[in-house]
This record gives sequence, C-alpha cells and structure tokens, in this order.
Amino acid sequence: MRLFARGIAALALAACALGGAGEVPGQGAKVRLGVLKLTSSAVLFLGAEKGYFREFGVEPELVFFDAAQPIAVAIASGDLDVGATGLTAGLYNIVAGGVKIWIVADKGREWPDHNLTALLVRRDLYDAGARTLRDLKGRTIGVTQIGSTFHYNVGRLLEREGMAPGDVEIVPLQSLGAVADALQAKRLDAAATAEPFVSRLESSGAGVTIIRTGDSLPWQIAAMLYSDTFARDRRRAVAFMRGYVKSSRHYFDAVLRKKSGPEFDEVVAITATYTGARPELIRRGFPYQDRDGRLMPGDIGRQTAWWYARGLVKAPIAATGIVDESFLREALEGLK
Amino acid sequence: MSVRVPVPDRTRVLERREHPVVRVLALAGLLVLWELVTRTGRVPSLFLPSPLDVIQSGVEMLRSGELVTDVLTSLRRVVLGVGLGALGGVSVGLAIGISRLAEAVGNPLIAATFPIPKIALLPLLILWLGIGEASKVAVITLGVFFPMAINTYAGVRSADPLLIRAAVSFGAGRWSLIRKVLLPSALPMIFAGLKLGAGTSLLLLVAAEMIAANAGIGFLVLHAQNLMETTKLMVGIVLLSVLGVLTHWLLVRCERAAIPWTT
Repeated sequence: MRLFARGIAALALAACALGGAGEVPGQGAKVRLGVLKLTSSAVLFLGAEKGYFREFGVEPELVFFDAAQPIAVAIASGDLDVGATGLTAGLYNIVAGGVKIWIVADKGREWPDHNLTALLVRRDLYDAGARTLRDLKGRTIGVTQIGSTFHYNVGRLLEREGMAPGDVEIVPLQSLGAVADALQAKRLDAAATAEPFVSRLESSGAGVTIIRTGDSLPWQIAAMLYSDTFARDRRRAVAFMRGYVKSSRHYFDAVLRKKSGPEFDEVVAITATYTGARPELIRRGFPYQDRDGRLMPGDIGRQTAWWYARGLVKAPIAATGIVDESFLREALEGLK
Repeated sequence: MSVRVPVPDRTRVLERREHPVVRVLALAGLLVLWELVTRTGRVPSLFLPSPLDVIQSGVEMLRSGELVTDVLTSLRRVVLGVGLGALGGVSVGLAIGISRLAEAVGNPLIAATFPIPKIALLPLLILWLGIGEASKVAVITLGVFFPMAINTYAGVRSADPLLIRAAVSFGAGRWSLIRKVLLPSALPMIFAGLKLGAGTSLLLLVAAEMIAANAGIGFLVLHAQNLMETTKLMVGIVLLSVLGVLTHWLLVRCERAAIPWTT
C-alpha cells in the first residue's frame, strides 16, 4: 500500500515537473542522502560543509549507514533519494528484481597509487615466500560477503592471473572487523580488506599487503545512486548534481592533486568531524575519483556481465537500464 | 400427549468447536491473496516474491541437491549444539539446584553471562575456536545452555518438599533422591527449557553460519540477503519455520513419552 502511495506521489511529482509548476529552488524538501561514515564519503561531507548543494537550492540531509548494501536497499524502498555506495552484486540484483535505481556519477575508483582496498597475506606465510596470488593456491582468503566488492576484487584478480575461481577458498565472514580478527588469529591465510583495516593489520604485524587493488585492477568500485522517484524530479536531480560536481572538483584539486597543504588539511578536518576517525588514518584513505564525476566508461556493464556469468546476478542487466549520466551531462553544461 | 417445547441451548456461543476446514482455507486464502497481489505487477518481485516463485525456487534447489546439503549441514550443527547445551545446562542446573555451594558460585555467574548477546561473542569465538565447525556449534550451545540451566534449576527448587522428606525417611540415598525425586519433578521444566532452547538454536543458526560457512540454512539466508535474492531468502525463511514446527512437534511427543503424568 505504501508503495502504491509512493507511486502516486512519484507521478504527481513528475506531473509537476512536466507542467513547469515545480517548486522554486530552495523551497523543496531536503534531499535524503545515504552515506557511509568513512573517509571514502569525504566528497559529500565537503559538499555539505561548504554549502555546494545549498548553492543550487538543494539541502542534503545526511543519513549514516554502516554497510553499503542497506543504502541500496533504502534507495530501492524509497527511503533515500540519493546514495553514495559500493557497487555490489546485491545492488545489481535489486535492479534485476524489477526495481529501478540509477547509477549517476563516479564516487570512487580503484586507481593506481591510491589506497582503498588491498589483499593482505598472513605475516608468517609472507615470510615463508607467499608474495603473489599464485602462491595462495589452495589457501583461504577472507572477504566480507559473497557478492561484495571484495569478492569482485579477488575474483577479477584470480582471472588476471589465469587462475580458476576454485584455486583459492573464499571465506565470507560478514564484516571487515571479523575478517581482520580472523587474519590476526591466523585463522585465514589472506584477507581482502579496506582502509583503515589495511593499515591496522600491517602495523600490528598480522599481515603484509601483496596487492593494492588499484595498482593492478582499476575499476569503478563505488558510485552515486539516485532513486527512481528522485530521478524523475529532474530539476532537483540536476541541481543536486551541480553541487556534487563542484564538490568533486574541490576534492580533486585539494586532495588528489595537492596531496598536502592547508586545503588538504581542511578536507581532512571536515572528514574527521563527520566520521570521528583519526586524522592520520584519514590522510591515508582518500580514494581516487574523477574530477567531473564521470563514470569509468563501460565498467558497470563489465561488472554486471561478470556477476551474471558467475550466477550471482540472476538476470542480465543492460547498461541503459541502470546507468544514467544525463544528469551529470546537464549539470556540467550548466557549470561551464 | 406431551408437548415438546424447543429449548434453545444458550451456551452454544461458548462451545468452541474445531474448524479444521476453515483453518486450511484461511492459510490457503492468504497464499492465494498473496499470489494475486504479486500477479497485479504493482509490487516488484524484489519486495514480495510470489508464493509460486518461492515454491519453484525451493524445488529447483531441492533438485540441485543444494537444499539437502544445507538442511543436513545445519541439522548436524543444531543437534550437536542443542545436545551439548542441554547436557551442560541440565548438569549445571541440577548442581546449583541441589548444592548451596554450587548455587553460590553458579547463580551470579549465570546472571552475569546470560544477558550477553551471543552474536557479540562471534569475534571472540573465532579467535578461540577458529572458523571451523567448533565455533558454529559453540554459538548454538551457548544459546541453549542458559534456558536449560535456568529451567532445570527452577524445576529442582520447586520439587515438593513432602516428596523429598518421604523419600529420605524411606531411606533414599543422595543419588536415588536425585534420580527418583528431584530429576523427575524437574522434568516438565526441563522440557519447557528444551523447547525454548530448540527455538533459540534455530534463531542462532543464522548467527552461527555468519562465521565462514559455505552451506547451511543460515548460510542460505545470509547469502540470499547479501545478494538481495529475496525469493531464495523466502525459501530459507520458510525452511526455518518448518524446522521450528517439526522440532516443537517432536519435543512434545518426547515430553508425552517421558512424563506421562502431566499431560
């Protein structure tokens, strides 16, 4: 029933937008924006703090989550308008299950020389000579979940090495914390994990990074998502995107290009107030993303095809049914 | 010639008759309604998979052998966990029910450890017992232990003092007092604890199989959740509920056999 009511609300909003009777910018309701309380959300904290969204008449309301998947689910149910989250098989299955969600902009890539996720090997195995993925044949690799970005990392890396999926045993432990604990306790041979766990495991001597994912496998690991209802509210959807692009450019110039200095420190400070993490950890964990928010061409299609081929996404998904960069294009036109 | 005066039985409203047909119809009606709602196409299948799809998916998983492996794997964990938990719980319950010294040691310990959510212990269990079967069984054992210990204790304490005195005055020794008076009078409570524990064990199955599982009903549920495959998720949920009904039925049967004097 609620869904039905939402459908009507969506139609009404769409009718408003079409009829040109839409609200004046600034009068609209808040945009509910789901983010993870992690360094990787820095670009959104920056936009909220610097007023980049407000500049274009949208007021974001940050809603914090502690895992990627619930953000996608909340967008599917209509509880969020926008989400910044990782691209998982679960997200693609939501779309395969008949719910429209739109991937609209870049929100983080695995990229050379940037720390995001990594593959760590247990210290004693590393000392005994396990330095590549090939050396891990027949051994266990901990991931958070089947269908997670970590699973994709390991799967694609195996493929590049010419190894079969069954050459290693992928062990799902449901959370990054559990993966770290298990490696620490030598219950795993290797772990696919992310900052700040990478730094933590290395400094405690539990594991050694053998592959920084970005160095060998650049891919679109995270993206900005729009709910279908929000996407139909064209004016606000584009306005939000303008703010996002401005914020992305600030992030790119201050963090990715400069790598230090007062502007860099400002972003670190803003991120620290939103995440409560220690500044020295934040400094290490800024992911790469495009200056204009553009997605890596063709990568979403590559991901959905990969998952589908492994039976973990239940139906093939056409890129046109999930990616919509028209908001970004329109926003970029307006900005320059 | 007598006149027959019809007297309406006005207590008939209180007569609670069995309606076996209505029961079945209500359940079937709900399923049909559910199927119809999904057929309208208004609700995406992600939000509400149709019952027929759920059944079809279940049958496919049964054919591929996936479901059989999951059920057998989980059953082994549950039986082991409940067995160990029940054994430990009854022993501890008996001990603290009988001995004042054991009570002084055990009661505060149980009060302090019972409210700990077993899921909060997962990381510790991984560290202590690894990611193999032991840690999974341990989660279930812990969940079953407490209701068993607390119920057994209450059962022993509520034994009729008259029976105890009678047994003692007829010359019963310590062991025969326990075996012939205390244990039997605690049995109804022990069975109540067992029913609680069996239910809890199914609840904890999902938590247990969060630890590096690659088969089991809990794994199936988690896996479906992670991949947002709501149809498979429903198969797992239905399976858990069927298992719950079956174990309850089995325990009621055992209870009737073990303590015929109560029911």
